[in-house]
Amino acid sequence: MKRRERQAWFTGFCLLSLWAPAGAEEIGPVRAPAHPAVVAQAESTRDTGAPSQPPVASPPGGTSLEDLLLQKGSITMDEWIQVRAEQEYSGAESARRIDAIEDWKTRTELFPILRDKVNFGLNALQFLYSHQDAHVPEGKSQDNFSIRRSEILFWGRISDTLPRWHALMEFQSINFGRETPTGGSGAATGQPIAATFFRESYIDFRPFQSWAPYMNFIRMGIFRMPFGIFTETSGGLRDIISSPYLTSVGSGNGNRTGSAGTIDFLQERDFFVDVRGKLFNRLEYVAGIMNNNNFHANATGANAPKSFYTRVRLFGTDVSWISFTTIQGESNNANTNINGRGKGAFDRYGLDFRYTSKIIPGFMIQGEWWQGHDGANQTTVGRPANGACLDQTICGGSGAPGAMRRTWYVLAKYLISDGPFQNWEPTVMYEQFDPSTSMSNDLYTRTILGLTYYFENFPPKVQSKIQFNYEFRHHQGNGPGVAYDTTFDAFAQNAFLVQFQIRFM
Amino acid sequence: MNRLPGAIFVVLSLAVAACAPVQLFPADVRNGVENDFDFSTWRNIPNARIGQKVQLGGRIVQVNGGNGSLTIIATQLPIVQQPAYGPKDSGRRSGEFSIVYPGALDSKWVKAGNRLIVIGTTKEAKTVVVDDVQRSLPSLTAHCLHIWNTGGKEIAEFPYNAGGGYEPLEEETHCAPH
Repeated sequence: MKRRERQAWFTGFCLLSLWAPAGAEEIGPVRAPAHPAVVAQAESTRDTGAPSQPPVASPPGGTSLEDLLLQKGSITMDEWIQVRAEQEYSGAESARRIDAIEDWKTRTELFPILRDKVNFGLNALQFLYSHQDAHVPEGKSQDNFSIRRSEILFWGRISDTLPRWHALMEFQSINFGRETPTGGSGAATGQPIAATFFRESYIDFRPFQSWAPYMNFIRMGIFRMPFGIFTETSGGLRDIISSPYLTSVGSGNGNRTGSAGTIDFLQERDFFVDVRGKLFNRLEYVAGIMNNNNFHANATGANAPKSFYTRVRLFGTDVSWISFTTIQGESNNANTNINGRGKGAFDRYGLDFRYTSKIIPGFMIQGEWWQGHDGANQTTVGRPANGACLDQTICGGSGAPGAMRRTWYVLAKYLISDGPFQNWEPTVMYEQFDPSTSMSNDLYTRTILGLTYYFENFPPKVQSKIQFNYEFRHHQGNGPGVAYDTTFDAFAQNAFLVQFQIRFM
Repeated sequence: MNRLPGAIFVVLSLAVAACAPVQLFPADVRNGVENDFDFSTWRNIPNARIGQKVQLGGRIVQVNGGNGSLTIIATQLPIVQQPAYGPKDSGRRSGEFSIVYPGALDSKWVKAGNRLIVIGTTKEAKTVVVDDVQRSLPSLTAHCLHIWNTGGKEIAEFPYNAGGGYEPLEEETHCAPH
């Protein structure tokens, strides 16, 4: 019974719908000029087959210009029909276009790139000219052009639970890094096997929304480590061209004083997982664990002894702070991808501060002080090393006892925001690096005078600039009693650098 | 053993203090703010609720200056506690309102896209030109403004910005001169 009722209703609706357009045609414009809009719709429906048309625009009061003209006899009915038909045609065309745009809008709104799920940008594209006073081998020049960085960045936000993913490719850096083999002095030199194209990748995970910002999120992957200020700052946002000595200093292989060779005091990137948050609205913290073997380890496969790290940052104002960082753990020289690391206990202690003036807008000063212990037999990546053995002829490496290293710097800058020197920013930086605090005659010092002009300066995402740096460099030597010649030492001779940068994302 | 309750008390006190809600405005400014103010109703009938002290969050759309005061046009945004306290863009389109700030502000604070929370008193609807279109918007006179210099981004994106680089978020409270 109910089924028959439904069928009857359905049949009735179908008949009604069939009747409706027919009725519309019957009360067309010619027969009923007092309702011309209905006629026009019927005409349009017949021509275009469009399901519906937008109402024809009419002036306030509901009477259009052509209606008035028709009523006054200024135009004939045929002319009125022609005017209306043209209006309907243009209306239908507009509707068709709007429909097409709506269709595209619906489609494009689903693109991940328009929903912040996938973004890409230019992290830094840097063209560098450098002149160094240090002598160079035959066939090389003291004047160099290079692409310092060519970094493309991809990132996105999936949801509140996954607020960010991030991947950075360094297209310029396709050179291979060496492994550091285990073994004695007779062992083969490490082979170049690890490319640095793969630079950063991480995932942010916020497991409990209600815990944020106190426990804001967990970050896991490879990224700039939260050690002080410089290490965490992207190359596209740095105020000077060269990396600070706390990142890397020196050249060549180590020696038994522990003062010589390349020393990577704080690696910029590593494999890690950490938790980050903010307390009291003034105190930020980070605590995590890392591989302690640099990001090259992704290719070499070395999972070095882990290290714990933490940083607490206390804000005086919204943009000025002081923070304390420590890294505690172990390091190993065999299979390491970091220069200057030995076998044994490993620690770092750091203090940093930044003062961004509100009294003198544009003025900023920051500094870092770091001290830390490297285990015995520090090695240079690529040279054989074998644990804590101090006999260099057997073990390779430097054969040096554990060394306490120390470094600090202070940087100040002032951005001129008006007048003829608008967008110019003078910068000055002084730094020291002591490879071994128990050794003399090994100190590195550098003073950098810089001048930056910003073409575009909307950090952190947009910063296009040209930087001029002159570096006064000094290196005492490689420890007491070690013969040393400054002629070819780039850390003992002054340098001039010009860098043109684009950063846009 | 006797020190244990004291230690627990200190730890709990610190934990409570660490997670305490953020207070951006002075207590005397916060006093009298209507907590259950309905923005939608006010937006529909702006002149029906004149003289009420309200707190609203928003994103700056446009700023007009003149005669020693600023008129800030803002899109209303809900104020959330997580993941970071402040106005958060939920993606839904909400209404605009105008804020009359009787004073001057540095241009970096009144950039389009910056987030703000305002405490002010509702006034009669104000006719303003937004994107070359004349509109009548619900209006209030600001007692205090708290502005985050986000430049269009979300507050929660700071300080660990996309692109690497620790970028602390500038924020400041500005109160109208008496």
